[in-house]
Parts: sequence; C-alpha cells; structure tokens
Amino acid sequence: MAKSTIYAGLEIGTHKICVVVGEAKRDGAIKILGVGQAPSRGVRKGEIVDFDKVQTCLNEALVRAEDRSDVMIRNVFLGVSGAHIESLNNRGLYRLPEDQGEITEDDVEEAKEIARNVPVPQQNVFLHSITRQYIVDGQEAVRQPIGREARSLEADYHIIHGVRGRIQNAIRCVREIPLEVEDVVFNPIAAAQVVLNREAKHQGSLMLDFGAGTVDYVLYEDGMVTASGCIPLGGDHITQDIAQAFQMPTPRAERLKIDEGSAFYQDVPVDALLRVEDDNGLHVGDVERAFLNEVIYLRTEEIFSQVKLRVEEHLGKLAAGVFLTGGVSLMKGVDAVARDVFGLKVTKAGSAPVSGVTATFENPQYSAPIGLIRYAQILDSEKPFLSPLARLGRRMADLLH
Amino acid sequence: MVEYDRTPLANTGSMDSLRICVVGVGGAGSNVLDRITMDRTVDATLVSFQTDVRVLNRSSAPRKVQLGTELMRGVGSGGDPDLGREAAMFSKDEIRASLEGHDMVFISAGLGGGTGSGAAPVIAEIAKSTGAIVVVFATVPFSFEGRRRQQQSADALERLQKCTDALILFDNNRMGELVLPKDGIQKVFAQGDQLIAQSVRAVTGIVSATGLVKLGLDDLVSALRVSEGRCLFGFGESKGKDRGSEALKRALKSPLINEGDLLANAKNLLVHIVGGDSLTLAEVEQIMKQLGRYVPDETQILFGIGVDPKMGDSLAVTLISALSAQDLSTARRFTEEQDTVRPKRAAIVKTVVAPPITQDAEDLFQSTTNGHLSTRAMEAARVSVAPPPAALLKPEAPVARPAPQHISTPAYAPVAGEVVYAVEEEFEEEVEMAPELVADAAPPPRDAARSRLMSFINTEKAATQPEKVKSPPPPPVDEIEIEAPLPAVVDSRAEPVPAAIIRATPQVRPVAVTDRVLVSRTAPSVEEPEPTATVDLFGGRGAVEAPPVKKPVPVPVEQQTLSLGGDKSGRFKDTEPSYATQGGDDLDVPTWMRLRRRANR
Repeated sequence: MAKSTIYAGLEIGTHKICVVVGEAKRDGAIKILGVGQAPSRGVRKGEIVDFDKVQTCLNEALVRAEDRSDVMIRNVFLGVSGAHIESLNNRGLYRLPEDQGEITEDDVEEAKEIARNVPVPQQNVFLHSITRQYIVDGQEAVRQPIGREARSLEADYHIIHGVRGRIQNAIRCVREIPLEVEDVVFNPIAAAQVVLNREAKHQGSLMLDFGAGTVDYVLYEDGMVTASGCIPLGGDHITQDIAQAFQMPTPRAERLKIDEGSAFYQDVPVDALLRVEDDNGLHVGDVERAFLNEVIYLRTEEIFSQVKLRVEEHLGKLAAGVFLTGGVSLMKGVDAVARDVFGLKVTKAGSAPVSGVTATFENPQYSAPIGLIRYAQILDSEKPFLSPLARLGRRMADLLH
Repeated sequence: MVEYDRTPLANTGSMDSLRICVVGVGGAGSNVLDRITMDRTVDATLVSFQTDVRVLNRSSAPRKVQLGTELMRGVGSGGDPDLGREAAMFSKDEIRASLEGHDMVFISAGLGGGTGSGAAPVIAEIAKSTGAIVVVFATVPFSFEGRRRQQQSADALERLQKCTDALILFDNNRMGELVLPKDGIQKVFAQGDQLIAQSVRAVTGIVSATGLVKLGLDDLVSALRVSEGRCLFGFGESKGKDRGSEALKRALKSPLINEGDLLANAKNLLVHIVGGDSLTLAEVEQIMKQLGRYVPDETQILFGIGVDPKMGDSLAVTLISALSAQDLSTARRFTEEQDTVRPKRAAIVKTVVAPPITQDAEDLFQSTTNGHLSTRAMEAARVSVAPPPAALLKPEAPVARPAPQHISTPAYAPVAGEVVYAVEEEFEEEVEMAPELVADAAPPPRDAARSRLMSFINTEKAATQPEKVKSPPPPPVDEIEIEAPLPAVVDSRAEPVPAAIIRATPQVRPVAVTDRVLVSRTAPSVEEPEPTATVDLFGGRGAVEAPPVKKPVPVPVEQQTLSLGGDKSGRFKDTEPSYATQGGDDLDVPTWMRLRRRANR
C-alpha cells in the first residue's frame, strides 16, 4: 500500500473556490502539485445558495488546478462549513462482562457504539466522530485500551454534526460537475491538521479560520479535539460595515479594507485622512482613517467575542494560545484584537511547510484546502489494510445497508 | 393472591385524586416514615403506628397513633409479636379511623420484632377491609439477629401475604451493599431507609402520577410476578445536561440490580420515567435505547412515562423487576446471551410439580404425557406450581416433568361456595383470627399458602386416576408431610359479591382428603387472578419461603423498541445555539450601527 497517492481538496468558500491537488508521499510528506482558484459567487456564509453560479466558478477553479498540477481530478475531499454545524462531546460507558478481564477489540467497538449513540437533532447527520480518549476504569486519556485489564471502558467522542440537507446539497452541487466526493470534512478540522502541530495540540490551542463568510474554530485540549464549530460572521461583514459607514459600493469597501484596513484605531491621529479612488484612479473622496479602523475593530472584536462565548469554559487550558488563519487573519491588527478578547497569546499562522508551490502554503487563505490533503492522508493511514477483495466486500456491505 | 379489585378505584373518579396513606409500623417503619416525611416527596397522609411511646414521640410523622394504650401503657412490645398483635387489636378502631378513606395504603414495617411483625398484618388487614389497595414494604432482619427473629418475620410475612396486593421485601443483610464497608453504621441504615423511601415514592408515583403512558398497580404486580425471588429495584434521578442517561446510570447502579447484570434474566421489567415539563421524547427514547442493552429481547417491558411539574428540571428513572431464586443463581453465569434463558427455564421445570386442577389442565396433562405440549394448552392451563416434598416428587416424576414453568395457577382459584364448605368439612381447623376481623374483611385476604395445599391435593388426585395416567399408586395421605402450617383461605369469586369467607388458620392440617372433594374442586376455574407478588428484595436469605405462585408468563412477545421519533431525533439543549445573538440583535447589521443605536436609546 505504501505508495504515493494523489488527493484533491476542494473548498467552496464565501470568497473563493479553491481546489488543491497534493501528493502524499510514502514518508508522510505532502507535496502540493497545484492550486486552482476562482472567485466565488453564489455562496453565502459558507453555504451554497446558487448552484449554477457555484458550478461555473467551480469548473473554472477545477480547470486551473488540473492545468497546473497536470492531474485529472475525479475524486475530491470536500470541505464544508456553515452555521448549522455543531459539535458535542459524548462518552459511552461499556461494562465488561463478568468473566472477562481484558479489553478486546469488540469491547472497544461496543464502547464506541454507545458513545456514538447520542441523539442529535433529527435532521442532522454525523459529519465526524473523533475519538478523543478512552477512559479505562476511570483512568483518563488512555490512547490504546486493547489488552488492558479493566472492568469498565469508556469511549470519549467528539461528535460534529450538521443538517443533512445542507451538507447533502453541497455534495450534490459537486457531483453535478461531475466530481466524486470521497469524503466530507468540516473545514476547521482539516485546517487544524496543518496549522497546529503536535505540540500546539498537546498544550492546548484554539484555531480560528477567519474566512470571508464564517469563522470556523476548533479547540484542542491535551491533544484532543474538545470543541469545534462555526460562526456565521466573517470578513464580508467587515466589508459591509465599511460600505455602510462610508456610503460606498461594496467592491470599493473591500478594496479599502484589504489595502488600508487595520484594527488598530486608538493611536491613529484623528485628522489622518485616506484618499479613496475609483477604478480609474480618480479621487472620489476622503475617509477618516480613525473611523475606518474603529469600524473594523468593532466588528472584529464582536466576532471574536462570539467565538469566546462558545469556548469560554476551555480557555484556561490553552497554553499554546490562539492560532489565526484564513483570509481575514492577513488584516493588520486582527491578532491584537484577538489577544484583547481572549487574553491569550495569538499567532497568525498559515499551513505548516509542505513542499511544492511555496507561495501557496504560506498564505493562510489556503490552510483549509491544504488541510484537506493532510486529512485525506491521515484517513488513509488509519484505514486498516484491506485486500481489494475485502474492499469490494465492504463496499457491497455498505450498499446493502 | 387475589386479583386486585378495580371496582372501588373506578368509583373514586380520577387518579389525580388518589388518596394515599403511608403507614410506618414499629421502629423500623417509623424510621422509613421519618425519611419520607422529611423528603416531602410523597403526597400522602403519613401515619405512624407505635406501641412504644418514645418512638412515637421521636417520630416526625404528622399523625401518630399509639397502639394498645391501655394494654401496653406506652411500653414497646419487647419483640413479642403476639403482644404487638394484641396491641393492634386493642386500637382497632383508631387504626381504622386513620386508614379510612384512602385508596392506597403503603405499610412500611421491619419484620422480626414485636410491633412490626405483630401489628403490621393486623393493620394490613384493616386497611384491606377499608377497600384500599395495600402494598407492604417490609425489611427482613439481619441473619445475626438469630433464628427466632427470622422465624417471627417468616410468620409475619405469611400473614401479610394474605392481605396485601403487593409485598416488597428488603433484606437487611444486603443493606451493607448500599454503602462502602468503611462507612458508618448510621449511614448504612440511613441509606436503607432512603432506599425504601425511594421505592415508596416510586411506587406511589407509578400508581398515582398522571402518566402520558400510564402504569398501574397491575403493571407493578406483574413486574413483581416472581415468587421466592428477589426484587430488582433501581431508582435514579438526575438533572442538568445528559440527565436521561445519568438517571439511568444511577438507577442501574443500585446494588439490587448489580449494575444491570441481573436484568439480563428478568422476564418482566417495569420502567417508569418521570420528568418535569421539560421532559423530551428524545430523552425517553435515549433511556429506553440504553436500557435495551441490558435486557434480553424476550423481556416484557412495562413502560410508563409521567410528567410531574414538581420534578422541575430533574428526571427520574425507576426500574422494578423480580428474579426468581433460580434465575438469580444462574444470572451471573450468563449475562448477555439471550439463548441462555431457555435452558435455564428447562432446568427449573424439573424441580417443579404442576398438577392439573382444571379441565383445561387435565387436557394439558394428557397432551403433555403424550409428549405434545402446545402453547395453546400452556396458555389454557392454569396449574399450580409448587415444590412438593422430595418424596412425593419421585413417584410423580413422569407426571411432573411435562409441566413447564410458565404454567401456573391461580393462587386463588374461584371455587363455588358449596365447595368451600366441603373443603371446610374436610379440614380440622381452628379459627384463630378474631372473628370480628374476619367478618370485617370484605375483600377476602389473599392466601398464598393455599395454592400449595391445592397442589398437594391435586397431585394426589392426579395419582388417584390410574385410568388416565399410569402412575404409581398414590402415597397414603398420612405421608404427606407439611412442615409449615398451612393456612387455607377460600373465597368464592364466582359471585360478584363475596358470599362467604372461610379462613383456615395456620394450625390447619389436612387429615383426610377424599376423592369427593377433589373432584368438586376441579370445578370452574376461569378467571386468572393476580397473584400477590412476594418478592424478596435482597436475595431471599432469611426470607420466608413464599409459596411459588406463577402466572403464565406471556408468550415472549417481540419486544417493542420504543422508537418514537426517527433514527436520530434530538436533544437540542446540548448543542450550542447556532447563532449566538446579543440581546436579539441581528449580527448582520454593522456593529458600529448597532452600537450607535444602542447609545442613542
């Protein structure tokens, strides 16, 4: 099995649609073969609202990715996001039979089964169920329970679930391209695989993927996923705030935000003015820099507070602090705001170094799609080796289910 | 051993107005009553009956009755049940006055002593005579208290069985399992009292709570319908996040259930879930799903949901079941496998003689001797199951074997009035009970021991019919050894109004039983009565050997999986709100604009 595999990750973001083609080598290294990107239309707050527009953009991104990587893309790992995605932790206790003292594989399966048996809203499906730890006779953080002497075994799960229809619509949209969706992954889970290293996960860290439409977060504690979720607020809200504050069209506000935007507003001299030009370079007006920055600050601060509301109970255990990634993390001063809100060390981070197109991995915008490649690799390495025959058998069993 | 009479209940109107009385008799009963009083969980009249004036003074029950004031002069009964009984007889009118007008009477007593063993049966009888449903919670003395007290508690139990609808036994010997060994003795007793108080509360809840899915006393009785066994009682209450599974976990934690292992053999299981207004369908479903892991598919689940606004945020799960002693001993061997249930039953069959008494039963008898045993016949047959003396068993072996354990008898077969008298003639008996009491007892007391007598008689009868079965000649009547005194109470259930109640006291010995009587006995036995469930809560040690009375276990119905919603239905409170709003603000509106608006306001 140990051969290099090529994976494609697809993220349909609010701002851009991005396809990353990567090669997972035998030694576990990842090489990015190509990135195809197209501005996104028909996506709102991380979710598809217009199939046709998205498909057009997706095609464009796909063609570019295929061109650059020289790979024909058939299957993709699809990154999804959206406010409907929620998470919870659940434990399943399994008491071993009287006459049995040692934990076997079946017991672990049973415990997992119990842990996964958590009621989620009826229309929801599980996106991920991630084993956090096993608790053997009350001993926490056991990674490998099989073979241990025990009376009871508890499996601790982090379960991420979302509305079935909303996830399925994203899949359907991609299938119509046609592309086969190999797996659906919650964006921050993928991004965390490349943004956070083992050390950061163990010390405890909060990763924020500050995108255009949503802020996706995942919180690691003691090496285990503890919380994850999505807040339907993002960079677009900042742009919109600016547009409304200065009565200017959204594209111009977007430009202004990217070129001049900053969340530092306190030390800006009141009379500092910014010259706003239209597309032809003509002067259309001036903008007070202090006001602009304050508008940006207020929104950014609010978004972080929203995240804080949800992860407040875990903040005490984050030694590695907050990791900011995603497009908005490029904005000036956003880390300072995060530091104020969370009271923790804040690091702006892109993907961990991977070989390939160097310009790509350093850009925090590509954390999630690159993370998808890494996620695919991890998923494959965790899969037990199956002969082709067994694989066929399993597929048949899946179909029958 | 009497079907509990529904007619008085129907007259009392709605169940909301169910009037409940909880009675504590003797020192132990008083402790339990105090616990119930302090918890204030049961909406009932609480009455304490004592002989000892000191106990009475200490008791926090709102209503106190001193038994035998003139006779005892406020001194306790000194461990003499006769004295306790005398005292209760003396205060008969006061007892009646305080019990009158209740639909249900719960009697809590510690057996083995004087007041508990002596007065409790009398009180139960009076309660029964007022037309109430009587449920007794009794504790059986520690084994170290000696043989005499054990014997006293056994005698008292026998008396109690006659006049109660349900009898739940707690064995003090197992009380220690409730707490850690190093805990103080006070805690052990406190926990024991609490357990009994909980079960009183649970049973009241089950019977009285306004249920969405209602359970009644009939369900309770059928859940406990295993004699000479042990009651599995578990109660768990929890609030907050995950309260459903937490409550179930606690209920299963009860040592009586042995962490759920013992449920694997339960044939009937009563599950009652009570919650406040916030009880959700998903929680109920989750609990039932989790519980499903502990019980085999054949188990009949008696399921009830109640909504009690008093519960507030908390949710309580009550599990009640009973295991026969045989099941209990084998329970630990096989826990999860369901297949093991059947061989076990087969094993039980060998130890049981089931002589046919009805026409149906005779059919069965024949068909079984031929080796054909149809379910229909099993259903039709209402056969007494009683362990006969070993000597008897042997010659009867070919007869005995085919009768499966499922088949059981009306403990209390309806017999026509004349037959009753015929029986009476055949017995030498002395009525020991106060005659006025007998006259009072309108609903006849349940007689458990009678079924055993019946079985003897009928065994013999079966033997005396050589043309039907080629079995060895009957053993001479004199050879029938009955160690325990056999009380026999017969009432005629054929008539709507009980016409005659004849009670044979424990001193009765069947001297000669003629064929004539036996034949007449095979007369109509149609109704299927509810047996008084006698259950030893803590494992049967030191408990009276209750006459085995078994109702036909329902043919294993496919267990209904309670799926009220779809596969994954939900509890939303565990999930965060998808959209954290700040004071109802629309977060899509620019932050600065909202802030300005707020400032302007």
